[in-house]
Amino acid sequence: MEDKESKIIIPDKKIIFSDKEKISRRDFLGLSAKGAAATMIAGVFAPSVGSMIGLGSVAEAATKKVKPFTFAVLTDGHLYDIKDHRFDAMFMDAVDMVNKMNPRPDMVIYAGDIGQSGLKAELVKGKRMLDKLKMPYKVIPGEHDWYLDMGKAWRSLFGDENWSIDHNGAHIIGMNSIKISDFWTGPGLTNEERMGRVLELECNSCGPWGVEEDGLDWLEKDVKKVSPDTPVIFFSHSPLWDYYPRWNFATKDAPEIRDILRKFDNVMAVHGHVHQVVFNKIGNISSVGTSSTSWPWPYPPVDLPYPHIRHNRLDPGDFKDGMGAHHINIAKDGSGTMMYDPFNPNTIPEAVKRGVKL
Amino acid sequence: MRIKQFSITGTTLILLSVLVLLVSGPAHSKEPLDDAADFDKLMEAVAYGDKLWHTGEGVGGKHKKLSTNGLGCANCHPDAAATQPQSWPKYQTNLGKVGTMRDMFNWCIQVVQQGQGYALDSKEMIAMEAYATYMNRGAPLNPGMNAQTSPFVISGEGYPTNNEGNR
Repeated sequence: MEDKESKIIIPDKKIIFSDKEKISRRDFLGLSAKGAAATMIAGVFAPSVGSMIGLGSVAEAATKKVKPFTFAVLTDGHLYDIKDHRFDAMFMDAVDMVNKMNPRPDMVIYAGDIGQSGLKAELVKGKRMLDKLKMPYKVIPGEHDWYLDMGKAWRSLFGDENWSIDHNGAHIIGMNSIKISDFWTGPGLTNEERMGRVLELECNSCGPWGVEEDGLDWLEKDVKKVSPDTPVIFFSHSPLWDYYPRWNFATKDAPEIRDILRKFDNVMAVHGHVHQVVFNKIGNISSVGTSSTSWPWPYPPVDLPYPHIRHNRLDPGDFKDGMGAHHINIAKDGSGTMMYDPFNPNTIPEAVKRGVKL
Repeated sequence: MRIKQFSITGTTLILLSVLVLLVSGPAHSKEPLDDAADFDKLMEAVAYGDKLWHTGEGVGGKHKKLSTNGLGCANCHPDAAATQPQSWPKYQTNLGKVGTMRDMFNWCIQVVQQGQGYALDSKEMIAMEAYATYMNRGAPLNPGMNAQTSPFVISGEGYPTNNEGNR
């Protein structure tokens, strides 16, 4: 069906749109100013608040083919190559927490930044702990995993940086969203200097991240034959919206990614990197942030689109405040509910404790 | 009566002299007033504080005064976020007293980063205070504030890019 529709190609972006998508894209781009504001207030909220605006069509369209399931999310361990570092214990605590979840998650997705400095020893340490999970897991890279050897060690341990799997009627995608244009060759930086720049959150000289053209091509091919009523769960290290680009709380080609995923009724985008509870919804894409197992980050100086979905003030003296694991329940109607599983439950508001609807 | 009048006049003269001294700057200063040069000196301290702020990330053990576990200030406080220079001095539970931001810096260095810490009047401590304060420039004074806050830099600007291209 999809293949029979006429297509247009936008040469600059190398993105192909069907007629249906073309209309959607035009409508979508038309949202940019006042529409964006409407989008921001029209979305998803915790069940207790009762706002399910915009999700009715999902429930109707999605289908009897989805078999409910649960998966867990871990991220941002930032392990150091230092023996008995306290981050090791918190990483392992999160692994133990997932292993004890009931019902047991079908799988675990790790959303990037296993290591801190890109050392293979850090990634090996993380893999050793992830291997203690009692269920399968998949990993995407974060910038801390990558820029010492440009992903060589990461690939040798975890395989492809872009992947997808079909599970119980849902399509799950993981992508490398931390690709940066070459900023190191010109100034002649060493590998260590390159990594040193990237690991600073405020590294403006590094430039914005994204999946870049090859990632967009991969994504387009990956979803080409996936039917629009299939629930899509999309993992990237960075958010698919311009949250706070100064800290790379953004993905430079997020608009193109959203365009490619525009045909789906419901896309649940889960990202790492921000080390905090945060949520946004743009069109058909819910975007939810995750807590780390290393340290929490302050909220950047911008208004949150959903100010109630955040964590509480944290105690710097409690090394577990603001951190933990997560699980997402996928329902028969193809919707999801993000459950934060903080190490310290009092660090998230009651409404967030009840789950964030995706 | 005359003695009392003299006393009042004398006191007034002394106060006026002090005021003149305060307004005109220290009489013993050998440097001409130069606002730009003064600001440059501040920015040198800010730049040094910035460097210290980002030291320790990923290089555990090499800077024992700052960190022995690889953590630097910027791990948790990018752009000096949530340092809240406008709120100090204040009572801080972690300190167990009314303390200064410099006290809190040492608490973070010693407890979170497992470093040795700095003397409160050291060049390093002053530089880190200069950096954190500069990054939160414009924030209204709010003694004792204990709210969760964001950094008070203008979105997308922060600290100007230096020759090394890092910020």
